[in-house]
Formats: sequence, structure tokens, C-alpha cells
Amino acid sequence: MKEVRLWTCSDVSDWLTDEGMQEYMDALQNVDGPALLKLSEEDFKASPLSLVTGDSGRQLLERIETLRFTSHMKAHKNNNHEKSHHANGHAGIALANGSVSNGKIPNGIPKNGLHPEPIRILIPSLPEQERTPYPTEWFKTGVAFLYALFCFLTTTVVISVVHERVPPKEESPPLPDKFFDLFDRVEWAFSICEINGMLLVGLWFTQWLLLKHRSIVGRRFFFIVGTLYLYRCVTMYVTTLPVPGMHFKCSPKLFGDWEAQSRRVMKMMAGGGLSITGSHSLCGDYLYSGHTVMLTLTYLFIKEYSPRRFWWYHWICWCLSAIGIFCILLAHDHYTVDVVVAYYMTTRLFWWYHTMANQQALKEISTGNLFSRVWWFGPFQYFESNVRGIVPRNYQLPFLLRTMTSARVKYSKLDSRES
Amino acid sequence: MAASHLLDDREDDGPNGSCQVMVMMEERTHPQATPCGNQVDDKPKSTKRLQGFRKALRKNQDYSRISKPSSSQLPSEWWKTGIAFIWAGFNLVLTTIMITVVNERVPDKSVSPPLPDKFFDYIPRVEWAFSVTEVNGMILVALWFVQWLFLKHRAIVGRRFFFLQGMLYLYRIVTMYITTLPVPSMHMDCAPKLYNDSHGKIKRVLQLVSGGGLSITGSHLLCGDFLYSGHTVMLTLTFLFIQEYSPRSCRWRCYHGFCGLLSATGVVCILVAHEHYSVDVVVAYFITSHLFYWYHTMANNQALRDSPHNYLNRTWWNWVFNFLEKNVKTPVPCTFSWPLSLPYVCFKNPCKSYSMVQSARDE
Repeated sequence: MKEVRLWTCSDVSDWLTDEGMQEYMDALQNVDGPALLKLSEEDFKASPLSLVTGDSGRQLLERIETLRFTSHMKAHKNNNHEKSHHANGHAGIALANGSVSNGKIPNGIPKNGLHPEPIRILIPSLPEQERTPYPTEWFKTGVAFLYALFCFLTTTVVISVVHERVPPKEESPPLPDKFFDLFDRVEWAFSICEINGMLLVGLWFTQWLLLKHRSIVGRRFFFIVGTLYLYRCVTMYVTTLPVPGMHFKCSPKLFGDWEAQSRRVMKMMAGGGLSITGSHSLCGDYLYSGHTVMLTLTYLFIKEYSPRRFWWYHWICWCLSAIGIFCILLAHDHYTVDVVVAYYMTTRLFWWYHTMANQQALKEISTGNLFSRVWWFGPFQYFESNVRGIVPRNYQLPFLLRTMTSARVKYSKLDSRES
Repeated sequence: MAASHLLDDREDDGPNGSCQVMVMMEERTHPQATPCGNQVDDKPKSTKRLQGFRKALRKNQDYSRISKPSSSQLPSEWWKTGIAFIWAGFNLVLTTIMITVVNERVPDKSVSPPLPDKFFDYIPRVEWAFSVTEVNGMILVALWFVQWLFLKHRAIVGRRFFFLQGMLYLYRIVTMYITTLPVPSMHMDCAPKLYNDSHGKIKRVLQLVSGGGLSITGSHLLCGDFLYSGHTVMLTLTFLFIQEYSPRSCRWRCYHGFCGLLSATGVVCILVAHEHYSVDVVVAYFITSHLFYWYHTMANNQALRDSPHNYLNRTWWNWVFNFLEKNVKTPVPCTFSWPLSLPYVCFKNPCKSYSMVQSARDE
């Protein structure tokens, strides 16, 4: 494109067309390049320009300013100007942050077209969180952890309360159950279930430590597990099922003895509710099964946040989980309906949460998004509003190990991108 | 020139560019007065002008395409509705068979007394409460049926209703069968057990199907179908459908509130009548509402269906969903029409004015 000063009328009208300002074409039909550069606001106050312009020519004047600068730049280039940053300064004004400035330099056009010093453009630095789509907000993870802890505590208290209401075995025999009709009780099966559970939790914990976005994933785990245990409190409390098998030895009831009850609660929390640790002596917590929840949930999380290539690892975990669940029933420790309902609730909540988290459209309240009607939508938005996109499976050594091994440069796969 | 008019209009609009129109550009040569009076060739000038026009529009305004759901995007496909209806019918029959089977396994009241239930501890039994539940249920079903008749896309909506109902009854079959709860209250008189009398069992099944399982019709004699409550399922499901497929204006919200009240009263009366345990009602409500939301979110969001990160398609019934909803590409708009096509002018359709423009504005 040739220099503005050499433009003819038709060049001017072509330029107007290109800029989308055809309304000025008729009014400026006799204007050539230099005259164009000389246009100012007063010209727009008089006719014919005042008749066509809607914004008193502001937009057109801005464009003319840009033209002036480009013609300056060309002139300087032709004069072999040494201060190259001057040209950059010009270009910068037009291009800073993608938005064109209003094109008016405070003192008008510089006298001889030269700036003595470069013009500094301050690009506002965004806070760290807005830059990455996966911000680490440990505070939110802490909130989720406290929520899970609260739900565990509530569950323990409710189990202790429900224990008082369980009808004795003699009065209310175990309910008829299809699985129990088909399979007789095997004594050591429950220990297998608990060992499997501990293995899975251990594997998941190790995997979680190696994840790069562990704060986000940890938050999700705590929230889901907390909500499942909260639902469990409700179903356990409203109706009390009798013990599933005559082999059960329930601790004696402490009618109204609060101190002893709170000691029981502490013992149960400390042991994690496992019979291996001796803290599974309370009865009544049947609908639905907490063991199934943990087995299923850890497997789902392990599979979700580990590389697809490790299919053997997924298969091993799946077997651990399935065998564990089967052993719960084999030990006649839960009714079949407890296990089925627990599996259903866990999988549905997991898939629901993750679908919502992975689709930006589902994070907003709208008539098409029925998922927003769920009661935990508020906390969900709090946890996941800053996470934009699907959390990638990246791995990174945890902080302590990183500092220990940071001496030499590593090209390991651990700090890699996993698709 | 027309372009300048449009550009002038731009000045009056708000920052959202609320004039949402897609301008279809056509290549037309405009006979224009050439600027500067010098140039001769007309054609490149006008195409250039056209291009400049396009650029101007693109630069200065935001246009978004509004695609009206045409009839090709919401095909009727009554045969799919027929299949869904058969599925629901099949599950209903299977449920009645299962109830008959489970009735044999219910432990006797003296052997297994009613389980302790928190609600029963606080609220003693009221005899007539169950009739209230059933009357409410029948009213809701009738209201939903009438509303369904007047929907324009009744094939699609009917399909959804039948499918969900069938699914819920299928799940109910599973939970009823695997563990049998004892009767919730001593007042319940269960029909005697027919140990090997298959003829008698078949008669019972037919009686149950014909009466719809309601005690008002005298067909609610069998026990054992406690987890989870079928009455709650119907009450909740009809209410959810009524709410979803009707307009959202003020008057209609009163209607929704009324139906919600009917539904809630019905559910509470089940418990007051000591006909189901509280856990039955809670689980039934949870499963119904979750399945409803799940299905409709999948159906309303086309983007979800194609996305690889959509975990909603990991359910076992996903292939059935795809079969039923494959050709439904947009959310079903709330439009009503006469079931038998009367002339259009006769019917002043209140919902027509609340068509997709309203729903877009709501969003």
C-alpha cells in the first residue's frame, strides 16, 4: 500500500470502504491523501460531513490518526532512523492488549515526529489464578476436607444412636435375602473385604500424591465421599434394619449414657469403622453399606485419574473392588439391597459430579440444565467455578521429593503431560 | 443506502447488540454513483462495497444465529413411543408378578415385627391417610394426561414418560426381590400365601394389574413390595413431568405449586398411614428425581451427547436412550396444540407467546 500522502481520491474512497465507513464516501469524494490527513473535528461540525456522521467523526478521526502514524513510520524507515524502539512505541499504541487506544497522544502529534524515549505500556498482570485454567486453591480443598470430616463424624454419631434402636436378634430375625439363600456364610470373608479396602485406599492415596492437580482432585474426592456418607446418615437413621445374620455380636446398649456413647464414637473414628481394628462392634448401619461406598469410590477415582495405558492396573483395582464387595455379602455382613443401593448412589454421584465439572455449560443455572436443581449445586459452584476445562492427568512429584531431587535436571516421565 | 440505516440503528441498541439478525449476503450489483467521478469500472466497486459492508457489519455488531426448532429437528416417531409404552407395560406386569412372588417370602408379623422407624415413632397411624394418597395420585395422573394430550410434541414427551416409568419399576423389581422387608405396621393384612398354587397366583396378578395396585380398587392386598415405594414414584414422576412441560409464567407457577402440594401431601400421607417405611419413600424420591434430571439433561444438551467426557453415558441404558432420542436435536419447546387438529385460529394459545424467545430470555 502506498503512502497516505500520495493517495488520490479513489484511494481514499477505497480506504473508506475497507474501513467500513462508506457513509463518508460521498462527502469526501474530493478529498485526497494529504487533505484526509488534515481533517479535524471542526470539519465534522460543518456540512456536508456533519450530515453523515453519527459520532461527530470520532471513529473516522481515530482511523486517520492511525494512518498518520503509519505514514510516520514509513517516513522514519525511509530515513533509516536508528532508534528502532521508537517504531515499536508507535506500533505498541495501536496494538496494546488487542484494543486500540483512542489514538490521541496527549500532546498531539510530536513536533518532528520523534520521541526521545520509548513509550512504556503497562500490561496489567493478571493474578495467578486467572492465568491458569486449573488453579490450586488449597483453601477450598481444606473446606472440602472439613466437610468430609464433619460427615464422618455425623455418621459415627448416627451409628451410635441407631445402635440403641436395633431390635434384638431374637425379636427380629434376619430378613429373607436372596443372596443369603444361595450362599452360606464364610467367616473370614469380611477380613478380605477390609484388606482390599485398605489396599485400594492406599493405592489411591499414593496416586493422589503424584497428581499435579492434587488440590482439585482432592477437593472432589472429599466432597463426594462426604455427601455419600451424609446420605447414608439419612437412610440409616429413618428406618432401622435388623442384623443380617445370627453371628453378629452387637455391643450392649447404653441407654442414655452419653459419656460412654461419646467414647464409643471416638473409638470408631480412630479405627475407621473397620472390624480389623476392632471398631466395628456397633450394629444398625445397614442401609446402605459404607464399605461398598469406599471400595467403589476409590476404584472410580483411581481409574479416572490414572493413565489409560495402565489397563492392567485398572483391572487389578477392579478385581480388588469386586472381590471386596462380593465378600461383604459372603460374610453375611450386609443385606444385598444395602450393597446394590450403595453401588448405585456412588456411581451416580461420581458421574453426575464429573459430568457437571467437565462441561462449562452445566456449571450455570439455566432451564436446560436440570442438574442445577440438585441441592449441592451451590457448594459445587464454589469448588469448581475456577476450574475451566477437564483436569488433565499430569503427574508431578510431591513437594518434598521435588526439593530433594532438584539438584540435577530430570527428563523424567513423571513431570510430563499425559493425554 | 440501506447499510447506513442499519448502522444508524446500531447506535440506539444496547451493548448486547440485541438486534439479533443474521443478514444473508447476496452478491448483487448495486447501481451506485461512483465516488470522485473518475473511475469507470462499476462491478469491482460494488463488490468491494459489498465486502466493505460485510466487514462493517461484522465489526460493529454481534449477530447470533437463532435456529428455530423446525419440525425436522423434533420428529414425532410414534413407533418409538409405542416401543416405550410396551416397555413400561412389560415392566408393570413384571412388577406385579414379582410382588406375588415376594408375598410368599414376607415373614409373618409375629415372627418379624415391624422395623423401628423414626417417622412412626412420632406420628401415630391415621387410617384414612392412604386414601388421600391414592386420590392425589389419581388426580395428578389425570392432570398430567390432559396436559400431555395438549402438548404439540406428545410423541416425544410420552416416550420419555413411559421409558422413565418402566426404568423405575424395573429398579423396583430388583430391590423388592433381593431383600424382603417385614410389614411396616401390625394393621396390614396380607393375603395368605399360596405355596404352589400357580393358578391362584396368576389370578392375583391379573387382579393387581386391573386394579392398578391401588387399595381403593381393592387390589392392594399383597405385601412385601416395600423397598421402594411405587406410589411415591408415580406422585413424584407425574409432578416432575407436569412442571417440566408447562410454561413458566406466574399463573402456571400457581398450577405447579398446586401440583407440588398434591404430590407432597400424597407422599406424607403414605407415611402417616404407616404403609411404607420412611426409607422406602426417601429412596424412591431420590431415584425418581435423579433419573428424571439425568435423562433430561442428556436429552437437552446436544453438546453432551457428542462429548467424549460425558460420564452420563456410562449407564447401562445409554443405548436405549440413544435409540429413543437420536433424532431429537433440541430441547422440546413448550408448545400446545389441539389433539385433534382444529383450525388454528380457534385456539388462543397462551403458551405460544412464551415460545423459545421467552425461554432464551429466561436463560
